[in-house]
Amino acid sequence: MQGQSKQLEHNSMGKKNFQEDNVYVASKKRIEYCFKNYDKVCVSFSGGKDSTAVLNVALEVAKEMGKLPLDVMFFDEEALHPPTIEYVHRISKNPDVNMLWLCMEWKHRNACSNESPYWYCWDKDNKDLWVRELPETAITEHKRFKKGQAFQDFSAYYYEKSVGSVCYLTGIRTEESLRRMSVICSKQNDNYIQSSATWNSVMAHPIYDWSSKDVWLAVHKFGWDYNKTYDVYNKTKLYQKYLTQRVCPPFGEEPLRGLWLYSECFPELWHKMLHRVPGVATAWRYGNTEIYSSPKTKPDHLTFKEYLQVILKSYSKQYQNEIKKTLNGYIRRHTNKSSDEIPEEDAHLLTGISWKFLCRCVMRGDFKGRQINAINNEAIKARDKAGMSIREAEIKHGK
Amino acid sequence: MKYKNQPLNDIVWRKREDLKPNNYNPNKVATSEMKLLKISIQEDGWTQPIVVNPDMTIVDGFHRWTVSKDIAELTDGYVPTVMITPKDKAQQQMATIRHNRARGTHGVLEMSNIVTDMVDNGLEGDEIMKRLQMEKEEVVRLLYRAGIPKDEVFKDLEFSNSWIPKEKE
Repeated sequence: MQGQSKQLEHNSMGKKNFQEDNVYVASKKRIEYCFKNYDKVCVSFSGGKDSTAVLNVALEVAKEMGKLPLDVMFFDEEALHPPTIEYVHRISKNPDVNMLWLCMEWKHRNACSNESPYWYCWDKDNKDLWVRELPETAITEHKRFKKGQAFQDFSAYYYEKSVGSVCYLTGIRTEESLRRMSVICSKQNDNYIQSSATWNSVMAHPIYDWSSKDVWLAVHKFGWDYNKTYDVYNKTKLYQKYLTQRVCPPFGEEPLRGLWLYSECFPELWHKMLHRVPGVATAWRYGNTEIYSSPKTKPDHLTFKEYLQVILKSYSKQYQNEIKKTLNGYIRRHTNKSSDEIPEEDAHLLTGISWKFLCRCVMRGDFKGRQINAINNEAIKARDKAGMSIREAEIKHGK
Repeated sequence: MKYKNQPLNDIVWRKREDLKPNNYNPNKVATSEMKLLKISIQEDGWTQPIVVNPDMTIVDGFHRWTVSKDIAELTDGYVPTVMITPKDKAQQQMATIRHNRARGTHGVLEMSNIVTDMVDNGLEGDEIMKRLQMEKEEVVRLLYRAGIPKDEVFKDLEFSNSWIPKEKE
């Protein structure tokens, strides 16, 4: 689990046209609409609190419309909190639910380790390392799934064409990020319905306008069962921050900063996690220090340009090459716009690049050029600080 | 002399079987730390006694007592103990928690310096890993923070791959 993004809803109030219905009533109407317009409605379920809300509202609607049992698809990523598993198990016992419990070899980031930057949950070649037993009803294979796909890329292909049109209900809420807000606000009609990878399926986000307070209010008011991980976390120093937690695999860039929670709350699971992928013990100890995030400082006797080479060598050859490709992309972008040398530490006023920033890209394992927006932001920040416009920067530093 | 009143003034070697664990110990130790504890006693010897109360319940040192089973030979099956006399269970539990929690954490830069010193003293990466039960990842990252690249401490002892020119397209 990790905290939600810290972005503020600064200008989104202007996008909201408030309606008479409360969010609960509105989400029921949206789900009714989905049942009327699609042959199959399936809840995409994570075990988190937002999933709880969608599931329970969908069950109510399905009951009213005579559409039970309801398909619920659970993407089991193996290293999950024990109370999450117990919760999903309880739901699968509900006769109104047709649980599709998927335990497939999905690819996940392992940001704990530079030598093994990816891992596969439920990896059939490493059964002895699994942190828990395979659930009895698990679906482990599918004719359209290949080991290493991400579940997001697979989910739309689950149903056969003969099923007809499919609508996956998700628990996405706009409160969680500006990106989600812009997805929901990108069109006026059916604004909460989004096309997916396949022509016959869509994703619908019926609780997009719920706040986390609404979710917990509903849990309280209707007495819904929920994931007791939230209660466990509420006993840690995250007390009262539990309202915004979400469920995700533990070894990624951001989640690894919360590995201490596993060691503190679920020691038995934790001891297995320590052996599951390389680097976990190290990330647990240093995940919140500078050897796992951004280089605030460097070794005294090296420049950032030299330090970059040292960090790069912590990766195996294959991944060194992938990162080099990414870095070369950033460097090319700079040399296309400017003839200046790449600065050591301060962001270049036109392109935002610096060796210090490139160090950060190496440290964070930027295999896919994901820091491109961050580099632009560096340039904007640097110009703001220097009181310079982009035009002036182009004249002074451009080609 | 006042120090004679301290528990440590009276270290008693007892048969390890005479001691028994308490039923509330909150301290959970992972397997690698258990190994490290064993290595620590093997390399440095017993430096800290196990704390017991008068009925031989362990107040502190449960994990030292656990690993002592595997290295019993080292001390003929005896373990060093000191006794405290808590007046009730709550006082005993507090003593346990104080023993466990009154310790610090290691700063990353200081650890980086120490590991660098070890490398300067000729230790190989593999040996540091084994004797401190560190993951390779930890040794590598602590060293790169000091500017030492991985291939200097984890030497690649394989020949590199041979090659022939690619066919012209």
